Amino acid sequence: MSFLYCLNPEKHKLRKWREDNHRNSEQIVDVGEELINEHASKLGDDIWIIYEQVMIAALDCSRDDLAWTCLQELKRQFPGSQRVKRLAGMRLEALEKYEDANKQYDSILQDDPTNTAARKRKISILKAQGKSAEAIRELNEYLEQFVGDQEAWHELSELYINEHDYGKAAFCLEELMMTNPHNHLYCEQYAEVKYTQGGLENLELSRKYFAQALKLNNRNMRALFGLYMSASHIAASPKVNATVKKANVKYATWATNQINRAYQLAGRGTKENKCSVKAVEEMLESITMS
Amino acid sequence: MRMSIKLTTQAYCKMLLHAAKYPHCAVNGLLVAEKQKEKKKDSHSTPILCVDCIPLFHGTLALAPMLEVALTLIDTWCKENKYVIAGYYQANERTKDFRPNQVSEKVGARIAENFSEAAMIMVDSTRFTMGCYEPILAIYDHHENKWKCRDCNVDSFDDWCEAQKITSALLEGRSYESLIDFDNHLDDLRNDWTNPEINKSVLHLC
Repeated sequence: MSFLYCLNPEKHKLRKWREDNHRNSEQIVDVGEELINEHASKLGDDIWIIYEQVMIAALDCSRDDLAWTCLQELKRQFPGSQRVKRLAGMRLEALEKYEDANKQYDSILQDDPTNTAARKRKISILKAQGKSAEAIRELNEYLEQFVGDQEAWHELSELYINEHDYGKAAFCLEELMMTNPHNHLYCEQYAEVKYTQGGLENLELSRKYFAQALKLNNRNMRALFGLYMSASHIAASPKVNATVKKANVKYATWATNQINRAYQLAGRGTKENKCSVKAVEEMLESITMS
Repeated sequence: MRMSIKLTTQAYCKMLLHAAKYPHCAVNGLLVAEKQKEKKKDSHSTPILCVDCIPLFHGTLALAPMLEVALTLIDTWCKENKYVIAGYYQANERTKDFRPNQVSEKVGARIAENFSEAAMIMVDSTRFTMGCYEPILAIYDHHENKWKCRDCNVDSFDDWCEAQKITSALLEGRSYESLIDFDNHLDDLRNDWTNPEINKSVLHLC
Protein backbone atom coordinates (compact mmCIF):
# COMPACT_ATOMS: atom_id res chain seq x y z
CA MET A 1 0.00 0.00 0.00
CA SER A 2 2.71 2.46 1.00
CA PHE A 3 4.56 1.65 -2.23
CA LEU A 4 1.55 2.92 -4.17
CA TYR A 5 1.59 6.13 -2.17
CA CYS A 6 5.27 6.56 -2.96
CA LEU A 7 4.40 6.30 -6.62
CA ASN A 8 1.66 8.88 -6.22
CA PRO A 9 2.38 11.40 -3.49
CA GLU A 10 0.08 13.75 -5.40
CA LYS A 11 -2.78 11.27 -5.09
CA HIS A 12 -2.09 11.02 -1.38
CA LYS A 13 -2.14 14.81 -1.03
CA LEU A 14 -5.51 15.04 -2.79
CA ARG A 15 -6.92 12.36 -0.55
CA LYS A 16 -5.73 14.12 2.60
CA TRP A 17 -7.25 17.40 1.40
CA ARG A 18 -10.52 15.56 0.71
CA GLU A 19 -10.57 14.00 4.14
CA ASP A 20 -9.74 17.28 5.90
CA ASN A 21 -12.22 19.17 3.75
CA HIS A 22 -9.56 21.73 2.90
CA ARG A 23 -10.59 24.58 0.64
CA ASN A 24 -7.11 25.06 -0.88
CA SER A 25 -8.59 25.18 -4.35
CA GLU A 26 -5.59 26.58 -6.21
CA GLN A 27 -3.35 23.79 -4.93
CA ILE A 28 -5.98 21.15 -5.70
CA VAL A 29 -6.24 22.47 -9.27
CA ASP A 30 -2.43 22.50 -9.65
CA VAL A 31 -1.97 18.96 -8.38
CA GLY A 32 -5.21 17.54 -9.75
CA GLU A 33 -4.95 18.93 -13.25
CA GLU A 34 -1.52 17.41 -13.69
CA LEU A 35 -2.66 14.05 -12.32
CA ILE A 36 -5.66 13.98 -14.65
CA ASN A 37 -3.72 15.04 -17.72
CA GLU A 38 -0.59 12.96 -17.21
CA HIS A 39 -1.49 9.96 -15.09
CA ALA A 40 -5.18 9.25 -15.61
CA SER A 41 -4.56 5.62 -16.55
CA LYS A 42 -2.68 4.91 -13.32
CA LEU A 43 -5.39 6.26 -11.03
CA GLY A 44 -7.82 3.38 -11.35
CA ASP A 45 -11.22 3.92 -9.83
CA ASP A 46 -9.95 6.81 -7.77
CA ILE A 47 -10.10 8.96 -10.86
CA TRP A 48 -13.82 9.59 -10.46
CA ILE A 49 -13.57 11.05 -6.98
CA ILE A 50 -10.58 13.04 -8.12
CA TYR A 51 -12.58 14.44 -11.05
CA GLU A 52 -15.23 15.53 -8.57
CA GLN A 53 -12.71 17.12 -6.20
CA VAL A 54 -10.84 18.88 -8.98
CA MET A 55 -14.06 20.09 -10.58
CA ILE A 56 -15.22 21.80 -7.39
CA ALA A 57 -11.78 23.35 -6.89
CA ALA A 58 -11.77 24.50 -10.50
CA LEU A 59 -15.10 26.26 -9.97
CA ASP A 60 -13.54 28.02 -6.99
CA CYS A 61 -10.72 29.27 -9.23
CA SER A 62 -12.94 30.31 -12.14
CA ARG A 63 -11.39 27.55 -14.24
CA ASP A 64 -14.57 26.72 -16.12
CA ASP A 65 -12.56 24.95 -18.82
CA LEU A 66 -11.20 22.43 -16.33
CA ALA A 67 -14.53 22.15 -14.50
CA TRP A 68 -16.32 21.41 -17.79
CA THR A 69 -13.81 18.69 -18.71
CA CYS A 70 -14.23 16.98 -15.33
CA LEU A 71 -18.00 17.25 -15.55
CA GLN A 72 -18.12 15.66 -19.02
CA GLU A 73 -16.01 12.72 -17.83
CA LEU A 74 -18.29 12.21 -14.85
CA LYS A 75 -21.47 12.52 -16.96
CA ARG A 76 -20.13 9.92 -19.35
CA GLN A 77 -19.25 7.49 -16.59
CA PHE A 78 -22.32 8.03 -14.42
CA PRO A 79 -25.21 9.01 -16.68
CA GLY A 80 -28.33 10.07 -14.78
CA SER A 81 -26.50 10.28 -11.47
CA GLN A 82 -27.96 12.69 -8.92
CA ARG A 83 -24.51 13.36 -7.55
CA VAL A 84 -23.27 14.45 -10.98
CA LYS A 85 -26.44 16.49 -11.49
CA ARG A 86 -25.58 18.37 -8.32
CA LEU A 87 -22.10 19.10 -9.69
CA ALA A 88 -23.69 20.47 -12.86
CA GLY A 89 -25.80 22.68 -10.62
CA MET A 90 -22.72 23.92 -8.79
CA ARG A 91 -21.17 24.88 -12.10
CA LEU A 92 -24.27 26.94 -12.91
CA GLU A 93 -23.96 28.58 -9.49
CA ALA A 94 -20.33 29.47 -10.22
CA LEU A 95 -21.49 31.10 -13.45
CA GLU A 96 -24.09 32.96 -11.35
CA LYS A 97 -26.90 31.32 -13.34
CA TYR A 98 -28.92 30.88 -10.19
CA GLU A 99 -32.28 30.27 -11.84
CA ASP A 100 -30.87 27.44 -13.94
CA ALA A 101 -29.04 26.05 -10.91
CA ASN A 102 -32.26 26.07 -8.90
CA LYS A 103 -34.07 24.23 -11.72
CA GLN A 104 -31.35 21.60 -11.64
CA TYR A 105 -31.70 21.12 -7.90
CA ASP A 106 -35.51 21.15 -8.07
CA SER A 107 -35.37 18.33 -10.62
CA ILE A 108 -33.15 16.31 -8.27
CA LEU A 109 -35.61 16.92 -5.45
CA GLN A 110 -38.56 15.88 -7.59
CA ASP A 111 -36.97 12.47 -8.07
CA ASP A 112 -35.66 12.30 -4.52
CA PRO A 113 -37.20 14.69 -1.98
CA THR A 114 -34.75 13.56 0.70
CA ASN A 115 -31.70 14.63 -1.28
CA THR A 116 -30.00 16.76 1.34
CA ALA A 117 -27.19 17.92 -0.95
CA ALA A 118 -29.62 19.57 -3.37
CA ARG A 119 -31.51 21.28 -0.55
CA LYS A 120 -28.29 22.64 0.91
CA ARG A 121 -27.18 23.95 -2.47
CA LYS A 122 -30.45 25.86 -2.77
CA ILE A 123 -29.75 27.44 0.60
CA SER A 124 -26.23 28.32 -0.55
CA ILE A 125 -27.75 30.13 -3.52
CA LEU A 126 -29.84 32.25 -1.17
CA LYS A 127 -26.70 33.03 0.78
CA ALA A 128 -24.80 33.96 -2.38
CA GLN A 129 -27.63 36.29 -3.36
CA GLY A 130 -27.44 38.02 0.00
CA LYS A 131 -30.87 36.75 1.03
CA SER A 132 -29.78 35.97 4.59
CA ALA A 133 -33.23 35.99 6.16
CA GLU A 134 -34.53 33.49 3.62
CA ALA A 135 -31.43 31.34 3.91
CA ILE A 136 -31.91 31.24 7.67
CA ARG A 137 -35.58 30.35 7.31
CA GLU A 138 -34.90 27.56 4.81
CA LEU A 139 -32.05 26.20 6.89
CA ASN A 140 -34.27 26.12 9.98
CA GLU A 141 -36.90 24.17 8.02
CA TYR A 142 -34.22 21.81 6.75
CA LEU A 143 -32.97 21.17 10.27
CA GLU A 144 -36.46 20.33 11.50
CA GLN A 145 -36.30 17.40 9.11
CA PHE A 146 -32.63 16.57 9.28
CA VAL A 147 -31.92 17.35 12.92
CA GLY A 148 -28.61 15.44 12.96
CA ASP A 149 -26.90 17.38 10.18
CA GLN A 150 -23.96 18.97 11.98
CA GLU A 151 -22.67 20.84 8.98
CA ALA A 152 -26.08 22.49 8.73
CA TRP A 153 -26.19 23.44 12.41
CA HIS A 154 -22.76 24.99 12.07
CA GLU A 155 -23.72 26.90 8.93
CA LEU A 156 -26.82 28.18 10.72
CA SER A 157 -24.75 29.35 13.69
CA GLU A 158 -22.55 31.32 11.31
CA LEU A 159 -25.53 32.86 9.54
CA TYR A 160 -26.93 33.98 12.90
CA ILE A 161 -23.56 35.39 14.00
CA ASN A 162 -23.37 37.43 10.81
CA GLU A 163 -26.82 38.81 11.60
CA HIS A 164 -25.65 39.56 15.15
CA ASP A 165 -28.33 37.23 16.53
CA TYR A 166 -26.03 35.75 19.13
CA GLY A 167 -28.75 34.10 21.17
CA LYS A 168 -29.83 31.91 18.26
CA ALA A 169 -26.22 31.26 17.25
CA ALA A 170 -25.61 30.02 20.79
CA PHE A 171 -28.58 27.66 20.47
CA CYS A 172 -27.09 26.10 17.33
CA LEU A 173 -23.74 25.63 19.03
CA GLU A 174 -25.48 24.07 22.04
CA GLU A 175 -26.94 21.45 19.68
CA LEU A 176 -23.45 20.78 18.34
CA MET A 177 -21.90 20.55 21.79
CA MET A 178 -24.59 18.08 22.90
CA THR A 179 -23.82 15.71 20.05
CA ASN A 180 -20.08 16.35 20.12
CA PRO A 181 -19.16 16.79 23.78
CA HIS A 182 -15.46 16.24 23.10
CA ASN A 183 -15.14 18.84 20.36
CA HIS A 184 -13.10 21.70 21.81
CA LEU A 185 -13.80 23.94 18.84
CA TYR A 186 -17.55 24.01 19.41
CA CYS A 187 -17.00 24.79 23.12
CA GLU A 188 -14.65 27.59 22.26
CA GLN A 189 -16.96 29.07 19.61
CA TYR A 190 -19.90 28.90 22.01
CA ALA A 191 -17.81 30.77 24.57
CA GLU A 192 -16.98 33.45 22.00
CA VAL A 193 -20.66 33.89 21.17
CA LYS A 194 -21.63 34.18 24.83
CA TYR A 195 -18.85 36.70 25.42
CA THR A 196 -20.04 38.77 22.47
CA GLN A 197 -23.62 38.66 23.75
CA GLY A 198 -22.34 40.45 26.83
CA GLY A 199 -23.64 40.91 30.33
CA LEU A 200 -22.25 39.38 33.48
CA GLU A 201 -24.15 36.08 33.24
CA ASN A 202 -22.99 35.49 29.67
CA LEU A 203 -19.43 36.44 30.57
CA GLU A 204 -19.41 33.84 33.35
CA LEU A 205 -20.81 31.24 30.97
CA SER A 206 -18.20 32.15 28.40
CA ARG A 207 -15.44 31.75 30.97
CA LYS A 208 -16.74 28.30 31.90
CA TYR A 209 -16.82 27.19 28.27
CA PHE A 210 -13.39 28.62 27.46
CA ALA A 211 -12.17 26.59 30.43
CA GLN A 212 -13.99 23.53 29.15
CA ALA A 213 -12.44 23.93 25.70
CA LEU A 214 -9.02 24.10 27.36
CA LYS A 215 -9.72 20.92 29.30
CA LEU A 216 -10.52 19.21 26.00
CA ASN A 217 -7.47 20.68 24.26
CA ASN A 218 -4.91 22.53 26.34
CA ARG A 219 -3.26 23.95 23.24
CA ASN A 220 -6.30 25.88 22.05
CA MET A 221 -4.90 29.42 22.18
CA ARG A 222 -8.26 31.05 21.51
CA ALA A 223 -9.66 29.30 24.58
CA LEU A 224 -6.70 30.40 26.65
CA PHE A 225 -6.95 34.02 25.56
CA GLY A 226 -10.71 33.86 25.97
CA LEU A 227 -10.34 32.59 29.52
CA TYR A 228 -8.07 35.53 30.29
CA MET A 229 -10.43 38.07 28.70
CA SER A 230 -13.61 36.79 30.30
CA ALA A 231 -12.09 36.30 33.74
CA SER A 232 -10.47 39.73 33.80
CA HIS A 233 -13.69 41.42 32.63
CA ILE A 234 -15.63 39.65 35.39
CA ALA A 235 -13.00 40.62 37.97
CA ALA A 236 -13.23 44.23 36.85
CA SER A 237 -17.03 44.33 37.00
CA PRO A 238 -18.53 46.46 39.80
CA LYS A 239 -21.39 43.96 40.09
CA VAL A 240 -19.35 41.09 41.54
CA ASN A 241 -18.55 40.48 45.18
CA ALA A 242 -15.03 40.16 46.56
CA THR A 243 -15.00 36.35 46.46
CA VAL A 244 -15.98 36.16 42.81
CA LYS A 245 -13.52 38.90 41.99
CA LYS A 246 -10.70 37.10 43.76
CA ALA A 247 -11.49 33.83 41.98
CA ASN A 248 -11.51 35.47 38.57
CA VAL A 249 -8.26 37.29 39.21
CA LYS A 250 -6.83 33.86 39.95
CA TYR A 251 -8.18 32.42 36.68
CA ALA A 252 -6.94 35.39 34.68
CA THR A 253 -3.51 35.21 36.26
CA TRP A 254 -3.27 31.51 35.56
CA ALA A 255 -4.29 32.12 31.95
CA THR A 256 -1.71 34.87 31.54
CA ASN A 257 1.06 32.63 32.82
CA GLN A 258 -0.01 29.88 30.43
CA ILE A 259 -0.07 32.35 27.54
CA ASN A 260 3.38 33.56 28.53
CA ARG A 261 4.63 29.99 28.59
CA ALA A 262 3.09 29.27 25.19
CA TYR A 263 4.85 32.28 23.69
CA GLN A 264 8.17 31.29 25.27
CA LEU A 265 7.81 27.82 23.79
CA ALA A 266 6.90 29.17 20.36
CA GLY A 267 9.32 32.06 20.21
CA ARG A 268 12.71 32.08 18.73
CA GLY A 269 13.42 35.48 20.18
CA THR A 270 11.73 37.20 17.26
CA LYS A 271 10.93 40.88 17.66
CA GLU A 272 7.21 40.33 17.25
CA ASN A 273 7.27 37.57 19.78
CA LYS A 274 9.02 39.82 22.30
CA CYS A 275 6.25 42.35 21.85
CA SER A 276 3.62 39.72 22.42
CA VAL A 277 5.36 38.59 25.57
CA LYS A 278 5.53 42.20 26.74
CA ALA A 279 1.83 42.68 25.99
CA VAL A 280 1.01 39.59 28.00
CA GLU A 281 3.10 40.88 30.93
CA GLU A 282 1.17 44.13 30.78
CA MET A 283 -2.04 42.13 30.81
CA LEU A 284 -0.83 40.40 33.96
CA GLU A 285 0.03 43.70 35.62
CA SER A 286 -3.34 45.19 34.77
CA ILE A 287 -5.21 42.33 36.43
CA THR A 288 -3.17 42.19 39.58
CA MET A 289 -3.45 45.95 39.99
CA SER A 290 -7.24 46.11 39.69
CA MET B 1 -10.59 70.25 6.13
CA ARG B 2 -10.13 66.51 6.78
CA MET B 3 -6.56 65.32 6.79
CA SER B 4 -6.02 63.14 3.79
CA ILE B 5 -4.85 59.59 4.19
CA LYS B 6 -2.09 58.04 2.16
CA LEU B 7 -1.17 54.40 1.88
CA THR B 8 2.30 53.02 1.32
CA THR B 9 2.85 50.15 -1.06
CA GLN B 10 3.42 47.77 1.84
CA ALA B 11 0.11 48.67 3.45
CA TYR B 12 -1.95 48.39 0.24
CA CYS B 13 -0.19 45.26 -0.88
CA LYS B 14 -0.76 43.26 2.28
CA MET B 15 -4.44 44.28 2.36
CA LEU B 16 -4.98 42.89 -1.12
CA LEU B 17 -2.92 39.78 -0.45
CA HIS B 18 -5.11 39.07 2.56
CA ALA B 19 -8.27 39.37 0.47
CA ALA B 20 -6.68 37.20 -2.25
CA LYS B 21 -5.72 34.47 0.20
CA TYR B 22 -9.33 34.01 1.32
CA PRO B 23 -11.52 34.81 -1.68
CA HIS B 24 -14.46 32.91 -0.19
CA CYS B 25 -14.36 34.67 3.20
CA ALA B 26 -14.78 38.08 4.70
CA VAL B 27 -11.41 39.44 5.85
CA ASN B 28 -10.43 42.39 8.00
CA GLY B 29 -7.39 44.07 9.45
CA LEU B 30 -5.79 47.21 10.79
CA LEU B 31 -3.71 49.97 9.29
CA VAL B 32 -0.96 51.65 11.27
CA ALA B 33 0.68 55.04 10.86
CA GLU B 34 3.80 56.52 12.36
CA LYS B 35 3.06 58.43 15.54
CA GLN B 36 3.47 62.17 14.98
CA LYS B 37 6.11 63.52 17.34
CA GLU B 38 4.64 66.91 18.05
CA LYS B 39 1.66 68.84 16.77
CA LYS B 40 3.12 70.97 14.04
CA LYS B 41 1.50 74.31 13.41
CA ASP B 42 0.58 73.36 9.88
CA SER B 43 -0.19 69.73 10.76
CA HIS B 44 -3.54 69.95 9.01
CA SER B 45 -1.77 69.87 5.66
CA THR B 46 0.33 66.77 6.30
CA PRO B 47 -1.50 63.63 5.23
CA ILE B 48 -1.57 60.62 7.53
CA LEU B 49 0.70 57.99 6.04
CA CYS B 50 -0.41 54.42 6.72
CA VAL B 51 2.88 52.60 6.56
CA ASP B 52 1.79 49.09 7.34
CA CYS B 53 -1.17 46.76 7.54
CA ILE B 54 -1.90 44.00 10.04
CA PRO B 55 -4.25 41.36 8.65
CA LEU B 56 -6.57 40.19 11.42
CA PHE B 57 -9.27 37.64 10.66
CA HIS B 58 -10.98 35.69 7.94
CA GLY B 59 -14.42 34.10 8.03
CA THR B 60 -16.62 35.15 10.91
CA LEU B 61 -15.76 38.72 11.82
CA ALA B 62 -18.62 39.49 14.18
CA LEU B 63 -17.26 37.95 17.39
CA ALA B 64 -15.64 40.08 20.08
CA PRO B 65 -13.08 38.20 22.17
CA MET B 66 -10.30 37.55 19.64
CA LEU B 67 -10.70 41.03 18.22
CA GLU B 68 -10.08 42.45 21.68
CA VAL B 69 -7.03 40.22 22.09
CA ALA B 70 -5.68 41.34 18.73
CA LEU B 71 -6.23 45.03 19.52
CA THR B 72 -4.44 44.60 22.87
CA LEU B 73 -1.40 42.82 21.44
CA ILE B 74 -1.16 45.05 18.39
CA ASP B 75 -1.48 48.14 20.56
CA THR B 76 1.61 47.07 22.52
CA TRP B 77 3.47 46.35 19.29
CA CYS B 78 2.52 49.80 18.03
CA LYS B 79 3.86 51.47 21.16
CA GLU B 80 7.18 49.62 20.78
CA ASN B 81 7.46 50.75 17.15
CA LYS B 82 6.10 54.29 17.62
CA TYR B 83 3.06 53.48 15.51
CA VAL B 84 -0.55 54.27 16.09
CA ILE B 85 -3.56 52.31 14.85
CA ALA B 86 -4.92 54.66 12.21
CA GLY B 87 -7.42 52.62 10.24
CA TYR B 88 -9.44 49.48 9.66
CA TYR B 89 -10.09 47.57 6.46
CA GLN B 90 -12.65 44.96 5.58
CA ALA B 91 -13.57 42.93 2.53
CA ASN B 92 -17.02 41.34 2.76
CA GLU B 93 -17.78 37.70 2.01
CA ARG B 94 -19.93 38.43 -1.01
CA THR B 95 -18.01 39.99 -3.88
CA LYS B 96 -20.79 42.37 -4.81
CA ASP B 97 -21.22 43.62 -1.27
CA PHE B 98 -18.73 46.35 -0.49
CA ARG B 99 -20.76 48.50 1.83
CA PRO B 100 -19.68 49.06 5.43
CA ASN B 101 -21.65 47.02 7.94
CA GLN B 102 -22.14 46.88 11.68
CA VAL B 103 -18.76 45.23 12.27
CA SER B 104 -16.77 47.72 10.24
CA GLU B 105 -18.58 50.68 11.79
CA LYS B 106 -18.10 49.37 15.33
CA VAL B 107 -14.41 48.63 14.95
CA GLY B 108 -13.86 51.84 13.03
CA ALA B 109 -15.54 53.84 15.78
CA ARG B 110 -13.42 52.08 18.41
CA ILE B 111 -10.25 53.05 16.55
CA ALA B 112 -11.54 56.59 16.10
CA GLU B 113 -11.80 56.88 19.90
CA ASN B 114 -8.02 56.71 20.08
CA PHE B 115 -7.24 58.35 16.78
CA SER B 116 -9.69 60.98 15.65
CA GLU B 117 -8.62 60.90 12.00
CA ALA B 118 -9.14 57.15 11.73
CA ALA B 119 -10.17 55.82 8.35
CA MET B 120 -12.45 52.87 7.60
CA ILE B 121 -11.61 51.18 4.33
CA MET B 122 -13.83 48.81 2.38
CA VAL B 123 -12.30 46.70 -0.37
CA ASP B 124 -14.28 46.53 -3.60
CA SER B 125 -13.73 42.96 -4.74
CA THR B 126 -15.67 43.43 -7.98
CA ARG B 127 -12.74 45.44 -9.33
CA PHE B 128 -10.05 43.16 -7.93
CA THR B 129 -7.78 42.02 -10.76
CA MET B 130 -4.32 40.49 -10.97
CA GLY B 131 -3.16 43.58 -12.84
CA CYS B 132 -4.33 45.96 -10.09
CA TYR B 133 -4.90 48.67 -12.68
CA GLU B 134 -6.95 50.85 -10.40
CA PRO B 135 -7.21 51.36 -6.63
CA ILE B 136 -10.10 49.23 -5.36
CA LEU B 137 -10.75 50.87 -2.03
CA ALA B 138 -13.52 53.02 -0.64
CA ILE B 139 -12.28 55.21 2.21
CA TYR B 140 -14.66 56.40 4.93
CA ASP B 141 -14.11 59.15 7.52
CA HIS B 142 -15.81 59.43 10.87
CA HIS B 143 -17.88 62.61 10.97
CA GLU B 144 -20.36 63.35 13.75
CA ASN B 145 -20.97 59.66 14.44
CA LYS B 146 -21.51 58.86 10.78
CA TRP B 147 -19.17 57.38 8.23
CA LYS B 148 -18.83 59.37 5.04
CA CYS B 149 -17.24 58.05 1.91
CA ARG B 150 -14.51 60.07 0.29
CA ASP B 151 -12.81 59.75 -3.06
CA CYS B 152 -10.11 57.16 -3.33
CA ASN B 153 -7.82 57.70 -6.26
CA VAL B 154 -4.12 57.60 -7.00
CA ASP B 155 -3.60 60.55 -4.65
CA SER B 156 -4.48 58.26 -1.74
CA PHE B 157 -1.18 56.49 -2.32
CA ASP B 158 2.34 57.43 -1.44
CA ASP B 159 3.39 56.10 -4.88
CA TRP B 160 0.55 54.55 -6.88
CA CYS B 161 2.75 53.26 -9.73
CA GLU B 162 4.95 51.42 -7.28
CA ALA B 163 1.94 50.09 -5.37
CA GLN B 164 0.29 48.87 -8.56
CA LYS B 165 3.44 47.23 -9.89
CA ILE B 166 4.45 45.49 -6.70
CA THR B 167 0.97 44.34 -5.65
CA SER B 168 0.40 42.86 -9.07
CA ALA B 169 3.78 41.10 -9.02
CA LEU B 170 3.12 39.58 -5.61
CA LEU B 171 -0.35 38.42 -6.63
CA GLU B 172 1.07 36.74 -9.73
CA GLY B 173 3.73 35.11 -7.59
CA ARG B 174 1.02 33.85 -5.19
CA SER B 175 2.69 35.52 -2.20
CA TYR B 176 -0.70 35.50 -0.54
CA GLU B 177 -0.18 31.81 0.23
CA SER B 178 2.39 32.79 2.84
CA LEU B 179 0.53 35.81 4.22
CA ILE B 180 -0.13 35.45 7.96
CA ASP B 181 -3.16 36.97 9.65
CA PHE B 182 -3.99 37.03 13.34
CA ASP B 183 -6.21 33.96 12.93
CA ASN B 184 -3.21 32.04 11.58
CA HIS B 185 -1.20 33.29 14.56
CA LEU B 186 -3.80 31.96 16.99
CA ASP B 187 -3.66 28.61 15.19
CA ASP B 188 0.11 28.51 15.64
CA LEU B 189 1.95 31.15 17.67
CA ARG B 190 5.02 30.79 15.48
CA ASN B 191 3.10 32.40 12.62
CA ASP B 192 4.23 36.03 12.55
CA TRP B 193 1.46 38.55 11.83
CA THR B 194 3.99 41.25 11.00
CA ASN B 195 4.77 39.28 7.82
CA PRO B 196 8.52 40.05 7.68
CA GLU B 197 9.06 37.88 4.60
CA ILE B 198 6.42 39.68 2.59
CA ASN B 199 7.77 43.02 3.78
CA LYS B 200 11.16 41.93 2.46
CA SER B 201 9.64 40.97 -0.89
CA VAL B 202 8.03 44.38 -1.16
CA LEU B 203 11.31 46.15 -0.39
CA HIS B 204 13.13 43.88 -2.80
CA LEU B 205 10.80 44.84 -5.63
CA CYS B 206 10.92 48.57 -4.95
